[in-house]
Amino acid sequence: MRFFFLVSLGTLMALSLLAWKLEPRFAPTGKTPLVWVSDDNPQRKLQIATFNAQSKSSALRLDPNNSGMQKIIVQSLAGVGPDLFDTNAANLPVMVAADVAWDITDELKKRGIALEREVWPSTLPLIRCNGRFYGVPANACTNALFINKKLFDKAGLPYPSGPWTWEQFLPLAQKLTIRDARGKPQQFGFLMDWWTWPQFVIQWGGQVYSDDGTRCTLDSPEAIAGVQFLHDLIYKYKVMPSPVEEAAMATQGGWGAGSITQFGGNRAAMGFGGRWWLCTLRKKEQFPGLSLTVAEAPHHKERVFLAYGRTTAINKQSPRREQALEYLLHMTGPAFNQGINAQADALAAFPKYCEGERYLHNPEFPEEDKNDVWRDVMAAGKPNPPSPFISSQLADRIMGRQLDLVKNDQKPVADALKAAASEINAEIQKTLQRDPELKKRYDTLKNLSPAPLPGARPSLGKGSSS
Amino acid sequence: MKRRQLAIALPFILPNLLGFMLFTAGPVLFSLCIAFSNWNLMRSVPFAWTGLENFVTLWHDKDFWLYFANTLYFLIGMPFAIAGSLALALLLSQKIKGLVVYRTLLYLPSFTSGVALMILWKALYNPDFGPINYAIEALGLHAPQWLLSTQNIVGLGVEKVGFDAKQLGLGARDAIIIMGVWTAIGGSNMLLYLAALTNVPQDLTEAAELDGANRWQVFRNVTWPQLAPTTFFITVMSFIGGLQGGFEQARVMTGGGPAGTTTTLSYYIYTKAFEEFQIGYASAISWVLFSIIFVITVINWKFGNKEVAY
Repeated sequence: MRFFFLVSLGTLMALSLLAWKLEPRFAPTGKTPLVWVSDDNPQRKLQIATFNAQSKSSALRLDPNNSGMQKIIVQSLAGVGPDLFDTNAANLPVMVAADVAWDITDELKKRGIALEREVWPSTLPLIRCNGRFYGVPANACTNALFINKKLFDKAGLPYPSGPWTWEQFLPLAQKLTIRDARGKPQQFGFLMDWWTWPQFVIQWGGQVYSDDGTRCTLDSPEAIAGVQFLHDLIYKYKVMPSPVEEAAMATQGGWGAGSITQFGGNRAAMGFGGRWWLCTLRKKEQFPGLSLTVAEAPHHKERVFLAYGRTTAINKQSPRREQALEYLLHMTGPAFNQGINAQADALAAFPKYCEGERYLHNPEFPEEDKNDVWRDVMAAGKPNPPSPFISSQLADRIMGRQLDLVKNDQKPVADALKAAASEINAEIQKTLQRDPELKKRYDTLKNLSPAPLPGARPSLGKGSSS
Repeated sequence: MKRRQLAIALPFILPNLLGFMLFTAGPVLFSLCIAFSNWNLMRSVPFAWTGLENFVTLWHDKDFWLYFANTLYFLIGMPFAIAGSLALALLLSQKIKGLVVYRTLLYLPSFTSGVALMILWKALYNPDFGPINYAIEALGLHAPQWLLSTQNIVGLGVEKVGFDAKQLGLGARDAIIIMGVWTAIGGSNMLLYLAALTNVPQDLTEAAELDGANRWQVFRNVTWPQLAPTTFFITVMSFIGGLQGGFEQARVMTGGGPAGTTTTLSYYIYTKAFEEFQIGYASAISWVLFSIIFVITVINWKFGNKEVAY
């Protein structure tokens, strides 16, 4: 028996040694290996290949399995985090407060890069926290209307073009919504991802939080009217699928699933989405015969469009953060940004790359002849910055619960939004009791009532550099 | 002699002991300590011992009670799962052809990936083209919206613990219960009953039959009392598992929704610890959950155990 155990132990050790020896080294000798946590959008591979071909000192590798703020924070604090990670406006303050995002303000200044002047203004909340910079925007986006030409032609309707209003949009969407004799939908006039609901709040003149972020203002008449219109698109005008109808249209999982594949599958005539939808919709083999054009999305009181995007930041705890900076600098250059535009991974975050023939007419995709629309709506982009006085996850959970009830037509919009605002405001007060530093900032803001620039909200943390 | 035996035994149990101390006992004790602190992964919140503050906050936390109610609601499926396991075990204890095949097939859900099963059930519950609603509609009945609905069979409210007539019906919680019962029926409970059935003395059964007892009377007066220790064990374990459960289902099938109706205490602990980074508070919830499970188990032992003696 002893012999058996010894042989087993020896074999296991030998196999472990062999596996360790055979493990592929992703970075060529002499290059610093860097790990980037991002989504598994197929375009990432191209972005990485471009960087790796250019860089003499670093080799970047994608890790799509550890995305998610919680994983990044916990792993980084435990010393096993990635070198670079993607985040967004809602999560950046949390990353800063957790001391995971590296303040690169001074590094950028040393190199003469002034992001505040170079990127789309609405992308600043993606990278700036308490006036300090923590990343470079990987892309920028505002949604527009994808038009399914075939369905419009079938209905004998002209393709819309902006600027136009939701009131002008409604009769068109109603004409393009087709139901069978039993009332079952065959085709919808309009389709959108529910998470873009703040678009309706800002277009109706409301805000999710007050300018200084100290109060949730979802209970304002403007916010209520905006969400009410969204609710009415489903239940009053019936041009957009209800959750049940949406589930019935569900097609497949994976990256780019949901509304995109439903739209690509000719289930709706108009799809409210970002330019990044094209990453999926360009797949001719998946969507044979799909013919698209784009129009500016309708607006209401204000011709503004919800701006969002991704930012790439450096893990402050990474021993290779200096080397990781090389990738962020690469992101400010032409190779990366022209690549973003060509790949349709939304829009380059630097407006200077969204001009000229190269951007407007991509010879590989000649049918995409409305790239000017994406640029124009981006210029009218308005961010929806989070409040620094409440965890964005907690706020999302509270809003999500109420919006679920709205989406399922189980609660009047006004009641739901008032309940959400009241609960979030109560949680803000609880957060302040726990966090003396935040309380100090909150009191200062309340007393001074400043009107900060977009993206210049105070951070949850100290906003310290290394 | 004993000292020598210990010296030999210790190296053998040391790896396991070290692993247990490091990865089980250590974190458990650590979580108990930090339950009395405000530990938060946000660096702006200075660490402080807060005494019973987390537990007081918990007492007033509306979400905790909502999710505790959800957790208790999910226990509704437990008696059906136990009864189903017993029924299957009784069937499989008969001398029929292909018994091994049946046993394997019925045990299949237990060794199939849970996530895969959940995705499968998600498709089955699709309100429009799912086969379940297809069958219900074919019978001329109104098909529920399953995972998209906040309704439930006892009319549990969505935003506060209590009865709400509008919520009466079938919804996400029931969908998860039905899936849980299906998974549990052919699982380890069935195997435990099968093993227990082989231990029922044949002479007792034969004696009852000789006295003229019919099948039901034999089961009611001979088999069932003989299975009492197994039933007791299964009940206790199901209570413990049920109170700790619901995480995977919430994560994979519903995201805790709609409107938080499928969020259980275990999912709430995850949310508080790893999404909101309130580690101290999450630890306090964990220890309250442990206390609830402990008390219920003690009550089970105290009162349930009496029925087991024969």
